Parts: sequence; structure tokens; C-alpha cells
Amino acid sequence: MAKKIDVNSLIDSKNGRVTPSIYTDLDIYQLEMARIFGRCWLFLAHESQIPKAGDFFNTYMGEDPIVVVRQRDGSIKAFLNQCRHRSMRVSFADSGNARAFTCPYHGWSYGVNGDLIDVPLESRAYPQGLCKEKWGLQEVPCVENYKGLIFGNWDVTAPALKEYMGDIAWYMDGVLDRREGGTEIIGGVHKWVIDCNWKFPAEQFASDQYHALFTHASAVQVLGAKSDSDDKALGKGQTARPVWETAKDAVQYGEDGHGSGFFFTENPDANVWVDGAVSQYFRDTYPEAEARLGKIRALRLAGHNNMFPTLSWLNGTATLRVWHPRGPHQVEVWAFCIADKNASDEVKEAFERSATRAFGPAGFLEQDDSENWTEVQKVLRGQRAKNTPLCMEMGLNQERRRDDGVPGTTNYIFSETAARSMYRRWADLLISETWEEVLQRTQQFQQEVMK
Amino acid sequence: MNDIATQPMRTGSAISFELHHEISQFLYLEAELLDDWQFRDWLALLDDDISYTMRTVVNAQTRDRRRDVAPPTTWIFNDNKFQLERRVARLETGMAWAEEPPSRTRHVISNLHVTPTERSDEFDIRLNYILYRSQKERDQTFYVGMRKDRIRQSHSGSAWKIFRREILLDQVVLHSHNLSVFF
Repeated sequence: MAKKIDVNSLIDSKNGRVTPSIYTDLDIYQLEMARIFGRCWLFLAHESQIPKAGDFFNTYMGEDPIVVVRQRDGSIKAFLNQCRHRSMRVSFADSGNARAFTCPYHGWSYGVNGDLIDVPLESRAYPQGLCKEKWGLQEVPCVENYKGLIFGNWDVTAPALKEYMGDIAWYMDGVLDRREGGTEIIGGVHKWVIDCNWKFPAEQFASDQYHALFTHASAVQVLGAKSDSDDKALGKGQTARPVWETAKDAVQYGEDGHGSGFFFTENPDANVWVDGAVSQYFRDTYPEAEARLGKIRALRLAGHNNMFPTLSWLNGTATLRVWHPRGPHQVEVWAFCIADKNASDEVKEAFERSATRAFGPAGFLEQDDSENWTEVQKVLRGQRAKNTPLCMEMGLNQERRRDDGVPGTTNYIFSETAARSMYRRWADLLISETWEEVLQRTQQFQQEVMK
Repeated sequence: MNDIATQPMRTGSAISFELHHEISQFLYLEAELLDDWQFRDWLALLDDDISYTMRTVVNAQTRDRRRDVAPPTTWIFNDNKFQLERRVARLETGMAWAEEPPSRTRHVISNLHVTPTERSDEFDIRLNYILYRSQKERDQTFYVGMRKDRIRQSHSGSAWKIFRREILLDQVVLHSHNLSVFF
């Protein structure tokens, strides 16, 4: 490390301050790669993407290329996509089915279980002997499945996935567990780059419903219907107005670095930009969802979420995405459309159409999100700008625990409770040597918040 | 290579110089309207049944492609006339921040290949495009790819209308933070 970084001087979650050099500093970025992306649970793939033995999906943990592979016994393993001989990538397709991964450089070949199984000219090139057992692909030691989502973690001392998730699992179930049979990924992956630090999108999905009213004003204006009109642009099932205009109350959750926000609606209303056929599907399947999840989550069809550090999703809109860091100044978005496996093919097509219309690189809403983040990142080239503390005070000291079953530290939806929690967890990870210290620091902060 | 590139082009009789010229002039006019931000006039060149699409492209090994094994794709654009009109309406709100201030674009088209179809009033077009986008103070992006259009002339001598546009953009990971311009 080139210089000692005083992380605590850059984040003040108690008073709601963040110094934006955390979005630009290369030393901080390198520390994040080691202490956050090297120690936290990261989303790898959905199990539906690799149903058969030998099916693989290529992704990243931080900037490390990872190949996720279905094994012959049905289990899932993940490996660093790096030949142990000269570091070449051994799998290049975005996904597919393989019997072996053969390095194009010198031809070393690995089985789908990661074992090094063939080395060209082995007896002539290594007359002294080569212990192939030692040179298999490097396996991600911790891989766990949460209701179809596969996560990986490099750190064997990290808390188990369920413990790491904490209460965000309750919020995530609102998407993953609505119907018997669970979920699946519909179609392919939107992949694109945004020249901004990974924490901007992660924080927005954790903690920022506030931006939607202004940033997405144009999309809401042109896709919405008048509330007294039958003129539903997106099909007769469309919810006419944005839920923030019609909801009776709303909540934000922020704890352990994770965050979420949603509105309480009277009816199972997806947001205004969701396809009418999808909105109608949610109404039709509401009784099953309510039986599985209870009323609050079954009704929860509009809302934002981030599981620390980089897995985000939106209820109702059916977009799930991971923000792969690409240096302090760039993020690579991978966005998936997720829907109930037991939905009909017509409804799944509507989900895909709907997610594409609103989100993805050409989405009516998402275009404007990426514009904000790239402009912020440009401003932070300035020496004065990157050292000027930003206001993160929204809803400060208004946190409370609820008695209606919504878990965790909560606040009104228009607050920055989740952002303050996210940056505190972020700092705790950067300054702590062990997970034990991280958990202690987080607990201490959360007690202070609730004082 | 993408699915839309591997579908066979019809190999009917060649079209006349005059018709080739007329169609190319029509496509240049269309490109001008987009570059001049005349989006309502551009919409008028699209027929009511327009299908305007772009799908993601993927990396797959040649070996897998031969077996028809390829990673799944999804829509980037999947628009009908109504949805394209809503995109234009969005730009007109003055609050479409991805296009405020608006991007400057140059639609460059070449490799124009026009073929007749089974209908005498409809023609298939395949072309390559470079779409240059200059934005804000110093941002610039090049979108490079291939387009398959289908156009029709409902009555002899009447105006041409585009009723299908399949856009291929040759990037697996798009090097652009958003696609807020028309292709």
C-alpha cells in the first residue's frame, strides 16, 4: 500500500458526511478489492442458467474472471478462470456446456471439477515429473445457494451466507419466493460499462428512492396514464400512476451494509412503467404470494434493494444486476431479468419486454441513472470537488424498529439510513483485519443508530 | 456473427440503378432527420407496424455454434411505433437527462445491399452503419454495426416507409453508458 489511508476520516455515518475521494482513490480501490471483494459474498449466477452437468457461466468476482460450473453430481463449483501455467484464460464463451476447459496457450486441460487432467508432452517436458494434483484450477472455497442465487466468497473465515445476509434475506424473498418452483433468469444478460465508481449504483439501489421523482420524471410522464383514464399505454393491466403518488406509507431498511426501500400499497400494484401483462400477473398470483410471504411482502411490487456490496434488484420490474468494479472510475453492469419459473411463456415474454423497456442500457428509466453517475464521476476529477464533504443527512436520527414484521433498522423511505449503514460497513471492512472485528464494529454502530 | 447476420438474404433478381439510387436517397434523408433532431419527421417515415429491435450479442465457441449451442440473448430495443413515439416524447419533455443537452450524432451508412422480396412493393435492405455520438463537453462514442431494414411503398410513386429495423451492435459489453439515441 502506497500510503496509509485514514478511512474513518472520510466517512462519518453518525453525522451523515461522506468525502467523495472514496470514489476516486486508487489506493482505496485496491484495498476494496482485497478486503471487500476478497471477503464478502458475491453473486455469481442463477442456478437456472446452468441446469445440466458441464454447463458453465462466466462471470467475475471483483476483477477476477470466474467460471461457474454444474458438476456431475448436480452441485455447483466456481473456479478462477486462469490457467495455472501462464495465467491464460481457459474458458471464453459467455456460457455453454463443456467436458473440459482447455487453455489455448499451451493446451493444459482441466476437468469441469477443476482438476488438471492433461498436459501436452507431459513426459518429455517434465521428465522430473509434474504433480498435476497440485495444479488444478483455483476453486472458490465458499459457494452457497440461496433460493436459486449462487454466491461465492474467497474468505473461509467469513460468516455463512445466511448470517451475512441478515435481514436482507427477508426482503429478497419478496422476489425469490412468491410462487412454488422459485425463479429463473429469462433470456440473456445486458452488459455495459458506466464510467463511475461501483459505490454510486450500489448506494442508489440500497438507499435512494428520492432520485426517482426527479431523475425519472420524463419516463414517468410519457409512460404513465391519467388516473381516471382507460388509456393505459402499456396494456390494460398497467398501474396508472407511480406508486409514490398512491402509496399510504413507505419504509427504508438499512443494516449490515444492505439496504432496501418500498411502498405500502392497498393492492398488488407494480410500478407505472411495468408492462400491463406483468402487473396483471401479479394480481392473478397474489393469493399464492400472500400465502407464502404474508401480506406486506406479497403487496411489495415496487421497491429497490442492494445486498452489499454489489447485488441489486427491483421488485416488480424484475431486474437483478451486479455492479462489477473496473477500477475506481468504471463499473460494468450485468443485468438479468428474473421471474417466477411457473409463470406462463407469455408472461415471461412480458417480463422480458417490460424489464427491457424500463431498464437496461436503452431503458426509459435507466438511461438517466447512468447519466447522473458519469457526470458525478467527472466532477470528482477536481481536487477541490473530491475533498468536499457531501451531505448524507436525510432522515438522520429518525431510525426505528417497526412492530409490523418489517425487520431491521428502518426509517421513512426518503432517508439515507441505508447509505449511512452501507458506508459504515464499507469502512469497517476496510479497517478490520478479521471478520470478528467487522461484526463487532457493525454492531456497535447499529446500537448507536438506535440510541 | 449474430443470429440476424446468418439468416440468408434473398437472392432474387438485382434491382435497377434507379431504384437503388432512390432507396439510398431515402435512407440518407432518414439519417439527416435523425442528425438534425427532427424526430417527429423521422417518425413519419416509419410505418404503423414498425418493429424496431436490437438484441444483445454473445461470445460462443465455433465448436458450440456448429452444434447450435449459444448463450441466450435478450432485447436491448424491442419497440413498436407507439414506444418509439414515447421515446421521442421523452426527449421533448426537456427532462430526459441522458439527452440534456442533446447528443450530436452523425449516422453514416454504407455497404448498401437492396434485394427484392416476394412482394413487389417491399424491399430488404442490409447495410453497415457507424453512428458517432458527441455528448456534453467532450464525450464521444462510436456505435458500429449492421442493420437490416425492410421498406415498402404502398402505392406506386408514394413515399417509402420503413416497417422493420433489426439492429446489430457489435459489442458484447457495450462501451456506452446508455443508448439514448436512435439507430
